[in-house]
Amino acid sequence: MLESLNLAVNFFLADWMTIVYLMLGVLIGVLFGVIPGLGGTTAVALLLPLTFGMQPEQAITLMGGILGSSAIGGSVAAILLNAPGTAPNAATCFDGYPMTRQGKAGIAIGAAMAASSIGGLIGVAILIVVLPITKSIVLMFGPPAFFMLAVLGLTSLTVASGNLLRGLLAACIGLMIGFVGYDDLGGTQRYTFDSNFLWDGISLVPTLIGLFAIAEMIKLYVEGGAIAKDTDPTKIKLAGTSLGIKSVFSNMPTVFSGSIIGSIVGMVPGVGGTVASFLAYSFASQFTRKNNHFGSGDVRGVIAPEAANNAKDGGSLIPTLAFGIPGSAEMALFLGVLIMHGMTPGPMLLIEREWSIMVLIIALALATLMASLVVLASAKLLVIISFLNSAIIIPAVLAISLVGAYALNAHLGDVVVAVIFGFIGYMMIKFDFPRITLVIALVLGSMMERSFLQSITIFRGDWTGFFQDTTSLIIFCLVVLALAFPTVHKIRGMLAK
Amino acid sequence: MKLKSILSTAVISAALSVGAVAQDFPDGTINFVVPYGPGGGFDTAARALAPYMEESLGPNTTIVIQNVAGAGGRRGGTQVARSAPDGYTVGIFNLPGFVLPEMLGESVEYDLTALSWIGRLENQDYVLLSRGSSDIKTLDDLLAQDDIVVTSHGFGSTGLAANQIMFSVLGLESVNPIYVGGYSGTTAAIVGAIRGDGDITVSVISTALSYVDSGDLTPLAVSGTERVWDTVPTFEEAGYPELTPINLQRSIAGPPGIPQDRLQILRDAFMAATSNPAFLKAAESMGMQINVLDGDAAGAEVNSSFGLFNRFRDSLGNPN
Repeated sequence: MLESLNLAVNFFLADWMTIVYLMLGVLIGVLFGVIPGLGGTTAVALLLPLTFGMQPEQAITLMGGILGSSAIGGSVAAILLNAPGTAPNAATCFDGYPMTRQGKAGIAIGAAMAASSIGGLIGVAILIVVLPITKSIVLMFGPPAFFMLAVLGLTSLTVASGNLLRGLLAACIGLMIGFVGYDDLGGTQRYTFDSNFLWDGISLVPTLIGLFAIAEMIKLYVEGGAIAKDTDPTKIKLAGTSLGIKSVFSNMPTVFSGSIIGSIVGMVPGVGGTVASFLAYSFASQFTRKNNHFGSGDVRGVIAPEAANNAKDGGSLIPTLAFGIPGSAEMALFLGVLIMHGMTPGPMLLIEREWSIMVLIIALALATLMASLVVLASAKLLVIISFLNSAIIIPAVLAISLVGAYALNAHLGDVVVAVIFGFIGYMMIKFDFPRITLVIALVLGSMMERSFLQSITIFRGDWTGFFQDTTSLIIFCLVVLALAFPTVHKIRGMLAK
Repeated sequence: MKLKSILSTAVISAALSVGAVAQDFPDGTINFVVPYGPGGGFDTAARALAPYMEESLGPNTTIVIQNVAGAGGRRGGTQVARSAPDGYTVGIFNLPGFVLPEMLGESVEYDLTALSWIGRLENQDYVLLSRGSSDIKTLDDLLAQDDIVVTSHGFGSTGLAANQIMFSVLGLESVNPIYVGGYSGTTAAIVGAIRGDGDITVSVISTALSYVDSGDLTPLAVSGTERVWDTVPTFEEAGYPELTPINLQRSIAGPPGIPQDRLQILRDAFMAATSNPAFLKAAESMGMQINVLDGDAAGAEVNSSFGLFNRFRDSLGNPN
């Protein structure tokens, strides 16, 4: 392994073009990440033809640049506009956007960048450590474990949302939206009304764009003014990014827990970063005692999900490389790039092309650092967005959002979905329903149903099988813990009084 | 949306065909529709082929890959079938993937037999596999089983259909095999089998290669006429010649009614590209199974695919 690491490092040093490719990837990744709906997937798809003439490792470097940086760009939009640039940034909105409203956007961005970099590096370190045992890790997660993981996600969701009843209601709506589409287990169409568009169900990205970006713009339109409230625009100079960076170093436990949760969830194929960052957020909000004001601008609410969603990149490479099972759309595209360069993912890839994988790992690590620096350097300019008058910001954000929704699949239906969810999102803000709960339920719903049916088939109808599968049993214990913790906490609080 | 795209294609084609004679074709952008998302087998095949076809078509032509994913390929297939037959829209088709919906009693908005077939690019044979650590080491071992669990991609997938036809011919339908479906793709179903969710899975050969090399899977028999592994028989050799034609083909076609002269130009470009040594080398490194047929023969394969699946129609029901 050291030998391949050495080869990989030499590869970066041997040709300055390699660094140029990496920087190109990073710049494009950040740019596409900032714009809701575009994201890393579109960037990889656009640059794919460009890699034809390159040698495989250069192509990997370029793509690594994009993969490592798009979620970092995405956090900027989440913090400033409450519009997650990429789906995994959704959890960053919770506290990032309230901070912007309080005029602390600079601190939030600084914290997000530092947390992203450290999280990314931790993720890469974990990847290197587990690389030799990737196969057994992937094989640990069968349908029963997937089911329990979905249960864990939904449980922590319910516990974390402040208002239990409204949270549950939003989750139910999310689950119901998740039912729409072709069910390939039952072989039937659900609520598709014979429309080819609804065959694939309601996609996540336009839903996110609607619920967050468009809903936020409707709200801003109704209220008027700028995003940042009660703030003197002359204070723009005090962007406070360095304060944000410092806050990360004084909250290292949050960074570590976020990164570890991100890496582990990232390794599970098909679950993806949205769940990783959300779990990290709810973990942090549950287990932080000191001065807990999560949901109303707690900087740790930015640190935890951002650390997680950059740490997950390292983890999610494991199922992608070792088994060719992409965890997300951009990983699916990245797989295509690998295959085009003659690197077929599978158990042999890690053995035969170890140094190429090392190149990717280094590219990912460098990309997170470079992307954070790019954003920090432009932070002061970016923060101005939050002080702009609504007459300027609303048309701009709406235009970008709708184009983003369309660009995803070049399907007008997605734009309609975004607009409809824009209104739903505004109603949810108005009547105080948690939007993220709906999103996570939408993500997890189909996975939960599918893996439940698979498990029951494997167990031949015997549901106790869930407790005989080791991984599933461990996750079940976490579910119990997540349910018990708030109650125990409350009882202890009462006893202390 | 549909009207708009038809209109815009019409406008573009009208603009392009001002005084058009065959020599003017092609001049401009050819849309190459991939009816699946980027990154998959069909996408990589199309992207590998496009630059070489572009080269053969001359300097005035650009081929642009357009991923029109959705509804299990139907959205892209429909888009190609409905586009103007001017030679500027072609697509890559999945056989029998595009045949299956009709066999399963679903309505589709294209007629495969009417398309203007340009050529077949790939043909992959299927392999029946067992988990490496299971007791099933040969086809005979499998036939002796009275309890079989299969992992598969799910209802409507070509892999499951191939699996069902195999079991029907092998006489295994009578043991009521359990199908664990719903995996996100063939590879996920393979990993499911390796993990022990089931004992048996079916896959195209190229996908299975590295798992057989690593010992995670044992091949039991292959479709087609040639052995892939020295010790593993073809179904024909094992006494089941009916299973020989089960395969997965990737063919290129345009909408019905492309004028003969233009179609010939596209067909010639396809044949030139697929005999280009540089393309063949690239395709080999990508693990593609190049097996070229000209346009007429590729079109004939559609009919034989319908014939094959029609014969086994009763075995293709939803196992769950």
